[in-house]
Amino acid sequence: MTTGVRGWGRLLTLLLALAAAGGAVYCATGRLADMGGGSDRPRIVVIIKESKSMEFWQVFESGAEAAAKEFEADIAVIGPGKETDVDAQIAMAEKAAAERPDAIVLAAADYNRLAPAAETIGKLGIPLIMADSAVNSDRPKSFIATDNVAAGEKVGRLMAEQLSATGGKVAVMSFVQGSASQIDRERGVRNALEKAPGVEVVGTFYSDGIERKAYETTLELLKEHPDLKGIVGLNEASSVGPGKALRDAGAAGRVKLVGFDSSVEEVKLLEEGVMQGTIVQRPFNMGYLGVKTAVQAIRGEKVPKTIDTGSVIITKANMYEDENQKLLFPFVGE
Amino acid sequence: MMAPMRRLSFGSIQTNMAAAFASLILLTVLLLGFIAYQLSTAAVRRSAEDYTAELVRQVNANIRTYVDNMRTISSLALNNRDVRSFVAGLDALPEDERRATEERISDFFRSILLSRNDIASIQIAGYDGSFVSDRREAKLNPYVSIPEQSWYKLARAAEGGIVVSSSHIQPIYRNEYRWVVSLSRELRRDDGTGVGILLVDLNFNVMNDMLSQIDLGQRGYVFIVSDDGNLVYHPQQQLVYSGLKTERIDDVLRRGGGSFETDEGSQSRIYTIQDSGFGWKIVGVSYVSELVGNKRQMDLSLLAWGGFCLLVAIALSVLLSRGLSRPIKRLQERMREVERGNLDIYVPPDGQREIGLLARTFNMMVAQIKELMSQVVREQEFKRRSELNALQAQINPHFLYNTLDSIVWMAEAKKSEEVVLMASALARLFRSSISKDRELVPVRTEIEHIANYLTIQKMRYKNKIDYRIDVDSAILDCLTIKVLLQPLVENAIYHGLKNKYGPGCIAISGERVADRIVFRIADDGVGMDEDMLAKLMRPDARKADGRGIGVANVRERIRLHFGPEFGLVYESEPEEGTTVTVTIPAVEPREEERCDKASGEPEGGREAAP
Repeated sequence: MTTGVRGWGRLLTLLLALAAAGGAVYCATGRLADMGGGSDRPRIVVIIKESKSMEFWQVFESGAEAAAKEFEADIAVIGPGKETDVDAQIAMAEKAAAERPDAIVLAAADYNRLAPAAETIGKLGIPLIMADSAVNSDRPKSFIATDNVAAGEKVGRLMAEQLSATGGKVAVMSFVQGSASQIDRERGVRNALEKAPGVEVVGTFYSDGIERKAYETTLELLKEHPDLKGIVGLNEASSVGPGKALRDAGAAGRVKLVGFDSSVEEVKLLEEGVMQGTIVQRPFNMGYLGVKTAVQAIRGEKVPKTIDTGSVIITKANMYEDENQKLLFPFVGE
Repeated sequence: MMAPMRRLSFGSIQTNMAAAFASLILLTVLLLGFIAYQLSTAAVRRSAEDYTAELVRQVNANIRTYVDNMRTISSLALNNRDVRSFVAGLDALPEDERRATEERISDFFRSILLSRNDIASIQIAGYDGSFVSDRREAKLNPYVSIPEQSWYKLARAAEGGIVVSSSHIQPIYRNEYRWVVSLSRELRRDDGTGVGILLVDLNFNVMNDMLSQIDLGQRGYVFIVSDDGNLVYHPQQQLVYSGLKTERIDDVLRRGGGSFETDEGSQSRIYTIQDSGFGWKIVGVSYVSELVGNKRQMDLSLLAWGGFCLLVAIALSVLLSRGLSRPIKRLQERMREVERGNLDIYVPPDGQREIGLLARTFNMMVAQIKELMSQVVREQEFKRRSELNALQAQINPHFLYNTLDSIVWMAEAKKSEEVVLMASALARLFRSSISKDRELVPVRTEIEHIANYLTIQKMRYKNKIDYRIDVDSAILDCLTIKVLLQPLVENAIYHGLKNKYGPGCIAISGERVADRIVFRIADDGVGMDEDMLAKLMRPDARKADGRGIGVANVRERIRLHFGPEFGLVYESEPEEGTTVTVTIPAVEPREEERCDKASGEPEGGREAAP
């Protein structure tokens, strides 16, 4: 009788213990699942050249976010307030490296001055993916950008077509001296123009990425070279500034203008016929591929050394085609 | 140390049962778990698909609401009096009246616009080049030709039907590049001639905001494609256009509804298509790997619960098997105790019926063993007693020869009277010891026996021995062991009086003290010193000297018959004499039967002695 009672007591104890263990298992499962959902998402820092207003970088950022969603990564997009603030970007890169993210995507504001930061990141074993602009280092695993030489050649050929009947003097309006993308674009442009008969490149001028400066430089150029036949702008500010100058000086159409990038100003210049064409890059794809490649590098997959995101020539004729609308007017409703 | 090992050793009932239970439980759990997993995976997937379909339906409903709004606005505009007069033709009117009508139309459009933030603009583009919009002073983009716009061309071709465009940039206003969805229809007179196009632009922002907030799992999304294959909305439109992402637009257009799954391995997607009814397909895309949303969590919890069930199974089976095997083990322990010689074991026959039966049988077996053992003990005791009887019988021949010698001498001396006396005493003596079969005899018989014996001895030793018998007549009927006192008297004569110089006397008394009978045999012979006395009182006294054999024999017989609390005690003083006190229980004649039974004396034991 007594053993019977003790047996039931023991059974009850056992059942209680089992219930407790079951609870523990339940909690543990929940926690494991949480871990599965949270902590194994790779953390990626994306350092862009400008974080305030430039459409290019905003589109780049939305591309990066699209990739983050698709490849289940957590990203932080940072960048200096001005494209020319190289020091600020260096500081950001060093700080990002110190936080030891799983990968860093960097659009270098300066080919040489960002090199030490790239070395630091590489030494820490953090995969480094370059986007848009390269850096003078062999640390980066991959470089994702518009093939700027090819883009430069495209825009050079477009200019050569415009001048095929007349030939004449062409000026190149560049932006920041020392920027890798600028160097490549200029080379492409010069390659194409050298092949064009009767076309002479009078020189390369620098806008420092400031539209005002490009405008004024163009006005001076027009005075200096009254027979100027064409201007090639190597980025948005360096294309819009000359465009406005040509419009104001009444030289629209007489001096051909081809440029880079897109903005409402450039669209207007295209519509007005001041600008004959512009090369549009694919910043969305750049941001997307930057993060995608970073995720692949984190997973230990082999990533291509360079990825060309391509570029598209936009002229007045094709600007409202479906595929180009999204490139020219990336922000819906704005 | 040994016990737990043995408990878990292979081949033990408990281990076997535990293993059987555990594997049974485990098998059941695994089977059920597997089925439950399959079923729940299917259920989760089905509900995810239902959810996606519902979501896409919802999106479709929302988008239709927007388009229906535009439709309503266009109907409203068509029925407006001023618009009707515009349609009827303003050419005939004077310039200021025409302007006034246009202004009223413009105000009407603006009043509609004020109430709706999803409508970007409302305008009429007349075939004659006139343009009326919701703003009075519209600044048109001089570089854009309105008749070149697709909404214009399509509406004109539709001849009064409603045309809903894809999402596009509306460039007709100066410095404005808005993303819109356009609804356009031709304004026609009653005779069927068109006069212009009514255009209602929906702010695409509104749709974009709604669509971009839709999540189908972590990675899923919704996109819209128009019937001519243009993407109206896609969250990654640029990737699609540049070929980085492929969307099964052809499949979507071909099917027009329902859902299908792509075959892309781990990246397989499910397309859920809804037709908007105005030329768009709303498509929800979800990743198959995500449908079973947290497959990993399911796997993990299944694993954890599986482990838990395993533990439960083992614990339960150990518990159950212990419960079942405990009575068997208890029985086994009792058996081992019996093995060690403890026969006073009783196993309570509780527990299962079979085990109870086993216990009962075991109890019976142990009882039988015990009975047999005690029988063996009794028989051995009897044997020993027979030996003693034989020993006792052996004493008699010497005495017989000596007595017969004495009779011979007396006969030679012609003492015929004495010969008669002695011979008759001898005859009585033997009759009393031979005739009666029983071990126990009345005290009276024993005393007579002693008297006969002493008569013979007194005659043999002439005047050297005298004796006195003084026994309480109340005890004469009590029973005593046969030939109990004779060896002691013999000792008194041979060891006490024989070596004494001069005559000696033996006094024999018997009385009852409480429930005992006490006999005293006192002689005034040479006595014994303490050493001899001590030797005599030792249990192995038979080795001491001749006297010891008789004493030990008497003591043993008393013990065997009456128990260890009875016996004899010697007291002696050298040169003074010796007194031996014999204590036996007072056994009344009617108790003879019981006493006899207890002693287990078999009949005829006496005859067996030589």
